[in-house]
Amino acid sequence: MKINLLKKLFFLILICLICWSCEPLVNKFDDVEDAELYKSKDIIDSQSVSDTLLIMTWNIRFGAGRIHWFGDCCGDRVIMTEQEVTTHLEKLADYVCRVKPDILLLQEVDIESKRSAYIDQLQWLLDHTYFNYGVYASMWQSQFIPSDGLGRMDMGGAILSRWKISDTERIALPLRGDQDALTQYFYLRRCIIKARIELPNCDDFYVLDIHASAFSTDDTKKNQFDCLKGEMDKINDIPGALFVAGGDLNELPPGSDSTNYCDEDRCPEDEPGSCRDGSDFTNERNWLDDLYAYKSAVPLDNYHANNSRYFTHGVVNTAVVTPINPWNRKLDYLFTNGDWVAGSDSTHQDTFDLSDHAPVSAKIVVTQ
Amino acid sequence: MKVIKKIYVIFLALFFTSYAFAINAPCSAGTAYTLPKGYFEIGLFQPLRYGQTETLEWSTHPILDLLIPNITIKKAWRDFAGWDFATRHNITYPTPLLRTISRKGTGGIISPEFDIPQMFSLRNEVLLTRKFSPSFLITGKAGLTLAVTSDELDERTTIDLPLVFPRLGVFYNGYAVNFGLDVGGDLTSRFAYLTDVDIFLLPGADENFAFEHKSLIIWNKSKKFQMMLGYKLVFGEYPFGKQWHLLPLFDMQWARQFRN
Repeated sequence: MKINLLKKLFFLILICLICWSCEPLVNKFDDVEDAELYKSKDIIDSQSVSDTLLIMTWNIRFGAGRIHWFGDCCGDRVIMTEQEVTTHLEKLADYVCRVKPDILLLQEVDIESKRSAYIDQLQWLLDHTYFNYGVYASMWQSQFIPSDGLGRMDMGGAILSRWKISDTERIALPLRGDQDALTQYFYLRRCIIKARIELPNCDDFYVLDIHASAFSTDDTKKNQFDCLKGEMDKINDIPGALFVAGGDLNELPPGSDSTNYCDEDRCPEDEPGSCRDGSDFTNERNWLDDLYAYKSAVPLDNYHANNSRYFTHGVVNTAVVTPINPWNRKLDYLFTNGDWVAGSDSTHQDTFDLSDHAPVSAKIVVTQ
Repeated sequence: MKVIKKIYVIFLALFFTSYAFAINAPCSAGTAYTLPKGYFEIGLFQPLRYGQTETLEWSTHPILDLLIPNITIKKAWRDFAGWDFATRHNITYPTPLLRTISRKGTGGIISPEFDIPQMFSLRNEVLLTRKFSPSFLITGKAGLTLAVTSDELDERTTIDLPLVFPRLGVFYNGYAVNFGLDVGGDLTSRFAYLTDVDIFLLPGADENFAFEHKSLIIWNKSKKFQMMLGYKLVFGEYPFGKQWHLLPLFDMQWARQFRN
């Protein structure tokens, strides 16, 4: 009798442990979940606020600077040394400290990735700049990616602020629809980070940070832009609420002079005349129209007058001789339902060595 | 489809490797006992074991041998203060496997930007077993592993996964130490159990500690076939920090008397 009972108990415990033991390799995320709050090791008090705030968005390329990474510039590098990463982060932090934005939207921030020596880049940047608070949401979190030696990955977006951050959400964006199930399982899960910044002079100030799909060949990006527009509309419907929405949309502004970058992006091993996924925007010309219902930091008229002045992206393609202006397309944006200070926008094209994206900044008017 | 196939193959390889490292048969593998002369056994994930004499046993993973040649010899010596005493010696050559999985694209476990040098490891263990009753067998073990490489192995080539990381750590550190305790025995005439703990140390390394515990229930269908089901709990230090893992274990094993 006793043995039977012991046997049953042993089996029960064993079955429970076996069931619990099937840990997924990849975090698939809920539709909406809390984003992760960060704090600088040294909090700087008395953060006064003026009637305008400088907002900046920057895709920092996981602290890889301009190394010839295999994924985006025909390179062969995968895993950086700790020294490489900290050198790149120091340059990024120096630049941020010179521009001194009040709120910084970041994309491609690694917090626990083998490729970037497992450095928590958000914590590092908080500890090496004047920002007090941060919020992070992952868009690629896998215990192990069995491809190209990538290994463990945790990359996402982040918002850094002088002031406290609350009401944070990670809002899942539609997954790419042009991948097989297994590739999709290990691939990025894009998201929007929504956060409220506790400004002393504005009760309802929200920030939306997005990094849209880069290489999709179907309408994934359009669906993601629709989600962003939906979130912008929701905040806009709150009486008195102000928002800044921005990030790397991986999309050209409506009316761009050039929409095909197949030649610029082609690698030596590619077929002559072929086009890499995500290099031809010709069929996506109007996908951002809806977002321009809100005010862009770079007004469309200004962009149409001189496209190249506002370019924010350019790869160092090992197959192409670097042109005089290495930036060749605009992918990064800032929008608001409030007002930008006229002429305050800046596309920081002097950052070519720091990332494959240039930051965009502008001053927003903040009044109660 | 090709991509799916590649990923499947790699995961299968990892799966096999992990299990091959993870499971020990209850009868001889984790104890100071050797297989009887002429007896051999093989599992889905366990090595092929062969009793050459009553006190000498050979084992190897035949499938893994293609990419990671390995051989183990276990020699039973005279009893020691009432405990059965054996030593186990293993030599492993992981270079072909690591070079195979150092590749571009799907299936690339290690970045192809690194060179994998020639590497060998030699593990030596002592095992002490005492049978208190058919349902209670206890084995203690301790081992020292030494590794040599023809060139320095870049630390960025580590495979930061449970079971794999502590076992490949010796190639970065030069030597490793392990200790373990196994308890097993019969539950009934058909069922047996095995539970163990293993500790892996890499003295002087930044990530120098791993702990593994497993429990298995074993169904002895006959003398020729058994099935095992259980779990493995792993705690380890990795380059990204410390982490626990709970993994399922399953295996089937066939045994046969080859000759008298």
